[in-house]
Amino acid sequence: MRTRLLLWGIGAAGVVLGVLVSVLIAVSDIIDDHAANIMATVLIGWSFLGIGLYAWGTRPSNRIGPLMVGVGFAWMLGMLQCSDLALPFTIGLVMSPSAFAIVLHLLLAYPTGRLGSRAARAVVALGYADVIVGSLVYAMLVRNPDGIENGPRNLLLVEDAPGAADAALTALTVVGLVAIVSGALLLVARWRAASTARRRSLAPLLWTGALLLVFAAVMLAADIAGSDDLEDGFSIFSVFLLTAAPYAYLAGLMSSGWARGRTMGDLVSGLNAAEARSGVRDAMAEALGDPTLTVAFKRHDRDEWVDADGRRFEPPPGREVTEIARDGQVIGALVHRGGLSGDPELLRAVADTAALALENERLQAELRARVAELRESRANLISFGLAERRRLERDLHDGAQQRLVALSLQVNLARAKIDDDPATAATLLDSAREELAQALDELRELARGIHPAILTDQGLGPALTALAERSPVPVEIGPLPAQRLPSSVEAAAYFVVSEALANVAKYADATHATVRVAREDGHAVVEVVDDGVGGADPSRGTGLRGLAERVAALDGRLEIVSPTGCGTIVRADLPCASS
Amino acid sequence: MAVTVLIVDDHPSFRATARLLLEVEGYDVVGEARDGTEAIAEAERLRPDLVLLDVNLPDIDGFEVASRLTKAANGTPSSGPAVILTSSRDPSDFGSLVHESGARGFIPKAELSGAALAALLG
Repeated sequence: MRTRLLLWGIGAAGVVLGVLVSVLIAVSDIIDDHAANIMATVLIGWSFLGIGLYAWGTRPSNRIGPLMVGVGFAWMLGMLQCSDLALPFTIGLVMSPSAFAIVLHLLLAYPTGRLGSRAARAVVALGYADVIVGSLVYAMLVRNPDGIENGPRNLLLVEDAPGAADAALTALTVVGLVAIVSGALLLVARWRAASTARRRSLAPLLWTGALLLVFAAVMLAADIAGSDDLEDGFSIFSVFLLTAAPYAYLAGLMSSGWARGRTMGDLVSGLNAAEARSGVRDAMAEALGDPTLTVAFKRHDRDEWVDADGRRFEPPPGREVTEIARDGQVIGALVHRGGLSGDPELLRAVADTAALALENERLQAELRARVAELRESRANLISFGLAERRRLERDLHDGAQQRLVALSLQVNLARAKIDDDPATAATLLDSAREELAQALDELRELARGIHPAILTDQGLGPALTALAERSPVPVEIGPLPAQRLPSSVEAAAYFVVSEALANVAKYADATHATVRVAREDGHAVVEVVDDGVGGADPSRGTGLRGLAERVAALDGRLEIVSPTGCGTIVRADLPCASS
Repeated sequence: MAVTVLIVDDHPSFRATARLLLEVEGYDVVGEARDGTEAIAEAERLRPDLVLLDVNLPDIDGFEVASRLTKAANGTPSSGPAVILTSSRDPSDFGSLVHESGARGFIPKAELSGAALAALLG
């Protein structure tokens, strides 16, 4: 409401100023073509004012509106130069170049209202500094610019020095020329970097503005060269272009709405026609005018980004990411080049329109990721199984088999000695018995590693108790599920506890460990906690890796929390089928 | 004169039992080696008549060791020791490797005896 009032106030002030300036021009003795000057004053001044206020009202946070209003006021104040009264004339003398500096600012800030780059800010600052310092210095040195006899008094005049004034004017012009040419180059660069959709909305003002800058540059150059004819000719064109500028902005404002409508229409038909997997991406790339666009999907089964093929995805550096949500949940992200975020409304509209199609693609990507994981887990499981069998063969060969070989030889030897040297034969048989006992132990241990009989026969509780009793570190068995778990889950739980307790004994330097197994929401959660030195690294050592594979094969997760000095928690989360 | 023997095996219990057994049977066990590299060095140093060589050694394969002990650099048979391979595995696990290695033959570990060695040495 307050903004509205302010806008109305500014509008009224602008109208009053236009009328006032027109009256002063009408009664001025120092000019001939009163009508043309009055026309120029109100046509350009009020056009900028009116369209500026409209823009200000519809997009209050965008500075384009205030800048246009500023151009309108500066222009009308500059026209006071035509007055033959001392005060208005002096104001006009100082203000006349300032409208051009604001126009430069306006063009470079279009359409966001912000000066995006350091270069743009520098050019605009140069423009403002030029018109403020230059026109003040000039006004102090010149009685009146056209050398009119008995002209209005210049209130700022310090000393009439035509030579110095000319030099100041030339400096003002050259610096202005530099600012204008740099500004024009920046506009060209902006155009080249813009997306197709963005060009549609940029076009009207950018082209008008670029032409205006070119004409202004030629005019200033002609001024330096002293070619009045050229200057006058181009001045008419530039007045025309200056008048056109606010209307071009209005056209841009409307066409960007239309362009957006057309873009969205194309996108919708593109989405409907999308059959190939890349169809949705292609339609969006087309709509946004960014052929490098990629789409990433959020997996909902785990907190991870994947591409359309389900492969894990990291946005490359230097790319911008716009997240896409559906029903309040992030489903994906557009990974696009930097310039696109200058048009956040278009980006948002495209993302919202494509959300449904993307959700569909997201599900497919998630499925692909899942399939790839299963494939990898199956391959890991097979190689893990092979490695396990190799280990068993080696254990058998190096252990029990060697003992039995030695045993066989000792028995042969004893048999050979039994008649001549019964005492040696007896020693050999004792040694053979020892060898046999150790071979049996090793075989038993090996069989337990393959599958503990107690687990099959008695269940998880007695099997874990047996593990705890064999452990050199005191182990407390916490609450266990009352019912039997699926045998694959029991086996995995057993081996998790077995490996964890073996590690506690070998590395943890613990005084105590606790084993818990709980059933939660259709999952079995197995936990082994010790009070040892911590610092266990799951990537090191084949035991924990093998366990992770075994757990992953059941679609479970193995987690190891082991801060240095604070003990270790090994936790396996194993989904149980309905049994 | 007794046949001199070098026993090559990475299991100390086998080396000890084999030494005992062969000495009882009248062989002169002049040395022991734990792996292929040591076997080649010891055979060079001790010049035994016979090397009893385990197939599964931690460094070089027993067949390769046999080959190096029995063949000169140009591939022709050298005047090196007689080599008899042994293993706790079955000889059928090795196919024709025993023959190709230049060894005189193969004795399963559990069947090791002076008579078995003598039969292969001829």
